[in-house]
Amino acid sequence: MRAEIAYALRHTTRYRYATPVDLSAHLAHLTPRPLPTQHVASCDLEIEPQPSWLETGEDAFGNEVRWFFLETPHAACNVTLHARLSVAAPRVPPATQTPPWTDIVTAAAAAGPGGAEAGPFLFESPLVEPAAEARDYAARSFSDRRPILEALLDLNARIHRDFAFRPGVTTVNTPVRQVLAQRAGVCQDFTHLMIAGLRALGLPARYVSGYIRSQGDANFVGADQSHAWVGCWLGPQFGWLDLDPTNGMVVADEHVVLGWGRDYGDVSPLRGVLLGGGAHELDVGVSLVPV
Amino acid sequence: MQTLSLQQAARDELIDESGRLRPVWRRLLGTLLGLGTATLRERTAQLDRALAEEGPASLSPVAGGAWRCDPIPLLLEPQEFAALEAGLGQRASLLSAVLEDAYGAGRLVDGGVLPPALLFAGGRYLFPCRGAPGAGLLFYAADLLRRPDGQWCVVADHTAAPAGLARALLNRRLMARVLPELFRSLDVAPLSPFFERFAASLAALGPAESPLPALLTHGHADPNWFEHMLLSQELGCTLVQPGDLTVRQGKLWLKTLRGLQPVDGLLRMVQGTAIDPLECPGAATRGVPGLLTAMRAGRVWVANGPGVGLAEAPALPAFLPLLCRHLRGETLALPDAETLWLGDADARARVAATPASYAVREDAARALPPASYAPGVGPGETLEPLPVRLRMFLIRDRAGWHALPGGLARVESGPSAGMAKDVWVRLEEPEDIAGSHPPPVPSPAVRRTVGDLPSRTADDFYWFGRYLERLEHAARLSRALLGRLSRASLLPHDLAEMTALSACLVDAGVLSPELASQAGPAVLGELLTGALAREGGAMAAAKRDVQHLADALRDRLSGEMHAMIVQGVRALDASRAALLLRPDPGVRPGLASLGAHVGRVIAFCAGVSGYAAENMVRGGGRLFLDLGRRIERAQGTAAALARLFAGAPGDAALGLALELCDSTITYRTRYRGLPQTGPVLDLVLADEGNPRSLGFQLAAAASLLEGLEAEELARLLNGTLASVREMAARADAGGLWAVRAEAARISDAVTRRYFSLLPVTWTGTQR
Repeated sequence: MRAEIAYALRHTTRYRYATPVDLSAHLAHLTPRPLPTQHVASCDLEIEPQPSWLETGEDAFGNEVRWFFLETPHAACNVTLHARLSVAAPRVPPATQTPPWTDIVTAAAAAGPGGAEAGPFLFESPLVEPAAEARDYAARSFSDRRPILEALLDLNARIHRDFAFRPGVTTVNTPVRQVLAQRAGVCQDFTHLMIAGLRALGLPARYVSGYIRSQGDANFVGADQSHAWVGCWLGPQFGWLDLDPTNGMVVADEHVVLGWGRDYGDVSPLRGVLLGGGAHELDVGVSLVPV
Repeated sequence: MQTLSLQQAARDELIDESGRLRPVWRRLLGTLLGLGTATLRERTAQLDRALAEEGPASLSPVAGGAWRCDPIPLLLEPQEFAALEAGLGQRASLLSAVLEDAYGAGRLVDGGVLPPALLFAGGRYLFPCRGAPGAGLLFYAADLLRRPDGQWCVVADHTAAPAGLARALLNRRLMARVLPELFRSLDVAPLSPFFERFAASLAALGPAESPLPALLTHGHADPNWFEHMLLSQELGCTLVQPGDLTVRQGKLWLKTLRGLQPVDGLLRMVQGTAIDPLECPGAATRGVPGLLTAMRAGRVWVANGPGVGLAEAPALPAFLPLLCRHLRGETLALPDAETLWLGDADARARVAATPASYAVREDAARALPPASYAPGVGPGETLEPLPVRLRMFLIRDRAGWHALPGGLARVESGPSAGMAKDVWVRLEEPEDIAGSHPPPVPSPAVRRTVGDLPSRTADDFYWFGRYLERLEHAARLSRALLGRLSRASLLPHDLAEMTALSACLVDAGVLSPELASQAGPAVLGELLTGALAREGGAMAAAKRDVQHLADALRDRLSGEMHAMIVQGVRALDASRAALLLRPDPGVRPGLASLGAHVGRVIAFCAGVSGYAAENMVRGGGRLFLDLGRRIERAQGTAAALARLFAGAPGDAALGLALELCDSTITYRTRYRGLPQTGPVLDLVLADEGNPRSLGFQLAAAASLLEGLEAEELARLLNGTLASVREMAARADAGGLWAVRAEAARISDAVTRRYFSLLPVTWTGTQR
């Protein structure tokens, strides 16, 4: 039994609308995903005003989704996630003992066990378009038959070293190409960049949405807000391992996973469509503290 | 002689592999030759005319281009059709099973039958549908070519939103009208049982007692809009656009004037990726937020299911023989054109060896056989062998898959490429006409008019009325200015009137404010010529607005009324083009010919209004058309009179006010003298018996709003009417701008209340 860290998580989102919205539809990926390394003790999503209709279900990637609809005019909408959970570090295989990365490429492309699991993360997706620049950048870590984890750790460290964390220089739709050119962005950008590079090499890579702890010994980049990192496939034997290029680290027990998808668009914590209303203001607060 | 040359040239369809005339053609050819070349030529022209008048060419050119139909059908023997129906039915079942697995258990990939790229590369896999594929595949079409060995092979699958079915139906109807002799020479399987079965299978997806299916389209912006209209009529579906629908309390509703009406399912004729903006990020904002949630919750059906476009993946045919054995334990009955998946190294090597034999699309290489030839009327207006591709349509009901006994054949290449051919299936025995009876369709519920009108349709009628009036107003102002420009010598009061009129024309958007404000008569003439005669001029633009709305309302206007508008618009286009057609480009169109053109515009507007008044059912669309006209005319008249009476109302302004309000003669008969301020203001402002007075517009609009039970809006208008009466009584025209602003406010209120096509905004989360 490995050590677990217990956390209290709070994520608040407040929308204020310039004029009342007649009807709004929202999709929330705001439930921490139960995992072998992540035990969710309690989880509560408060929505204000009371939705006229709320559906809970699973998305294509097995994440829990809440759809909610506000059907009377409202000038504001508040969504708060409260959760208690405990996280354990995953077992990380020795990098040198992982298979050559080219074997992983072959395994991912072939029909066969695991194909349905890795397949969705192998190709371009709406926010991760193929970019030759991303491929070239990633390829420098992937010398011939290098063990997959060794190559991944090298790429993860390079992104951490080469790119500056600078909020405000990118948006949700900033292409990977531009992030590469300006060598700066935020965690979503580094995640999309690394995913683009890996997929261009034929390696499955998924976008993981979640949080990193607010307090601790290290000073993490991306705390007190939504965070993102990369899920990498080490082949049928070792499965998936998460790497955080923003902090240049292997994800252990200081991250909390909400869910994963092909890119940000599949698992953005909260998005919506408003009818009427017009301009809106957004106010977000996150805290993830050990208890 | 002609028969012989045909036999030699038109191999395949006419002649079988062993060189014999296919028996099905024998009688038809006899009848055709009996008709003679001249008659055939005349019938071809008749078919072209009928399609121009009743096909999509009757809409503006953006809506899909001209359709042509060859008078010679493509013939299929009953046995051949039966084999095609069985083969395509097997294929549709197979594709359904593949889709079910792809959106469900994923065994085909995990079990090593399908490489993941077949599903996940290419962007066709709709992730929000994983685990919930909707109604799956219900309506399917396939394109076929006959190979040189006589065997039909599939060259394209259409699952996303198959097109062409309504076109096949229209072709058949027009063929029956234009070439009745041909039908007498053969017993041809009728098409209507297929449509009845289609309607019944849609009805069976909803609640038994009152099925309310709708056909979802993007409207007249869609290249297949015309087909969507025909199909909705044939299947008894309400024709809806995403903006007409809303999801409330987890159910799907149609926004109508009476409120929300339930819809229990959608025949989807738009891309599956664009039906719910909440779940398809990156796709267009079109769609109905929450539709997929309602579908997953089982509260609305969508057919075809949104994700079924996946079956159009170009490399999939390479795996179908294997999939068919694996999933069904059968051999694939109908072969595909040779297809290779380029993810496979051997396939890449084969294509690299003979690249000219393959057409590469995405990750697939295809070798299409040459098309077979069938006799048809070619560009030389004689019988010629034309290369043909056949599209067949199938629908699924509880009993299985059923093919339309017919289809849409098209000329594959050459000068007649794209021309359609009707497809005839010969009936084996006359009693086949009864055929297998489709299940009975429940008779539609009785419908009333106003309340059931979709809000978007009401909105379109309202703006149709407004644009029509805007066009007429611009034409009337132009006519008044042209009359003064053509006077031999200009007196000071002519110049004053021209200044006032040019200001009115600026308000009406005909002239641009920068140029018109300082222009003298000569320059004004130039500016007005440009606005009236050029293709990019204000008059042509106003006419286009009217035309677009008439197209959008095509399914709501009688064929006769729509034809009248289309012909009127064409005549105006021709009249405008003629203004610029002069031997010497330096010579501008004369004022007289401009005047004649403007007269035609006014006559067109009057004709449409008159037709609506005489022929449209009161209430419903007509009510909104009238309301639009009244509100627009109130605004236009108020603005024009405000300009004229901007200074002290002199003689010139009074005369012009009477002219613009078409009241000169009335005034003369009533008062027999020079215009005086009091009587003129009474006639153009307050007199509710004068259909061009401001008061008449306000009173008429108020009574229309009362008919819509919008009492508070009617009260507002009556208040404005009272202030206009007061202005007339005081003989003081100040305050007309306020009247115009009030009319605009009421128009906004009408829009908010009835149409509620609210703008869509997106919210993301923080980054």
